[in-house]
Amino acid sequence: MSRARHRAVVTGIGLLTPLGADAAGFFEAVCAGRSGLRRPAHTHPLAGILEVAGFAPDVDPATVLPPAEARRVDRFVVLAMAAADAALADAGIAVGQDADPARTAVVLANAFGGLAMFEAEALAREASGHTAVSPYLLAGMLPNMATARIAIKHGVRGYSSTISTACASGAYGVAEALRLIRDGLADVVVCGGAEAPLLPTAATTFRNSRALAAGWADPAEASRPFDRRRNGFVLGEGAGVLVVERAEHAAARGRPAYAEVAGWGVATDAYHPTAPRADGTGAATAMRLALADAGLAPADVGYVNAHGTGTKRGDAAEALAIRAVFGAHTPAVSSVKGVTGHLLAAAGAVEAAATALALRRGVLPPTHNLDDPDPECDLDHVRKAPRETATGVALSNSFAFGGHNVSLALAHPGGPSWT
Amino acid sequence: MSADVVAFTIEALRQMNFDVDGADGETVFGPAGVDLDSLAVAELALRVEDAYGVKFGEEDMERLAIMSLGEFAADVSTRAQTSSLDGAAK
Repeated sequence: MSRARHRAVVTGIGLLTPLGADAAGFFEAVCAGRSGLRRPAHTHPLAGILEVAGFAPDVDPATVLPPAEARRVDRFVVLAMAAADAALADAGIAVGQDADPARTAVVLANAFGGLAMFEAEALAREASGHTAVSPYLLAGMLPNMATARIAIKHGVRGYSSTISTACASGAYGVAEALRLIRDGLADVVVCGGAEAPLLPTAATTFRNSRALAAGWADPAEASRPFDRRRNGFVLGEGAGVLVVERAEHAAARGRPAYAEVAGWGVATDAYHPTAPRADGTGAATAMRLALADAGLAPADVGYVNAHGTGTKRGDAAEALAIRAVFGAHTPAVSSVKGVTGHLLAAAGAVEAAATALALRRGVLPPTHNLDDPDPECDLDHVRKAPRETATGVALSNSFAFGGHNVSLALAHPGGPSWT
Repeated sequence: MSADVVAFTIEALRQMNFDVDGADGETVFGPAGVDLDSLAVAELALRVEDAYGVKFGEEDMERLAIMSLGEFAADVSTRAQTSSLDGAAK
């Protein structure tokens, strides 16, 4: 395989989100503004901690793992495996038949690892002593275990890695896939992110840091990116996995693509562990780099899938960044977090999938609950209803605690100027 | 009560490893004073909530972050009186 620059396309999507377990249903729910957010039941361990959360569908671990192993892994691994199974099936790939195992890769990102499993084991040790601690704890909770379990199950023998850049992790996974394909190091990359942060200790620290949306009588109204009344984000869980494939490889298999992953850009704030730079300069640089990497100009972009979490400062900084990159005539902008909540490390992959689906279908999803756009977030918002588009190019933004900013440039599979 | 809250707050900030030597009611939480970031303000709010039985909302945080210790103590005292009146009414 030469070192020439290869093109990378998305040929499979697998999503487990608060909106359900299938990608087509996910996109329809986002477009229809059907919220996946709800109040924890009063018997739930999170009742009294979280006012509202985004729960992914229940997945029986025994549907993705042999029964004896199913109880030995954290939920983030189960969500990642189920989404990877769905993405590979969607791409029509059985590794070993449709893709060379040595040229297939896995890059699954997460931020928390198996914190829920660790919390349960720590409490068991405190209550019952050291014999209560499972010998399987590390194999079930280490952050790389989503990647490893997917590789084991599907016989992936090429490159594998795990990325952990907090809320930007999933998008970094997609960027890594593009680099691997482009450099000729893989034909197929199973990439994305998974997160299962809905455990009492993790939920409590978000609550205590006052980062979460609060005081909403209707849980469906709590997540409201760019809206004047927004007051924090809604914590959610889920997984987003994309099959990113060398374009010629996909064409040889006769598989259609959702979109091309055309470029990536990363910039670091070097500012504060949790707060973004208020002027959005790191975010703006990431977008500019993604466009330059794709060989595109700002004027080519018709849509930005925003990170837009619903926090006061984060949304305002992102709006500044978008205006800095695009000037007065910003492209259409929306955030899916109004209906999904913030899926942390899964968010960037889920949103890259949403962006790919938007380009493929020519429909831009609206930002839910954006009733009264904040003047500090002055953008061309898609709100109230989806918007038809003929755009061939979009950016998908993800920003994170730690000051990690990543932007992905995606293009219609027919090319940036396919119309 | 305000003087007590000032003393409590200075001790809390000392335990949080902020430099509070010479701090008094005039000292501000912002960059010209102790220079608390948003998470430090949230931690301080938790400590004061536990100690005085008051409650701060997310919408209070930005306002707290730019107060002086004296203003903060007066705010806490008002909240404590209001919450004990609420309790008496029930």
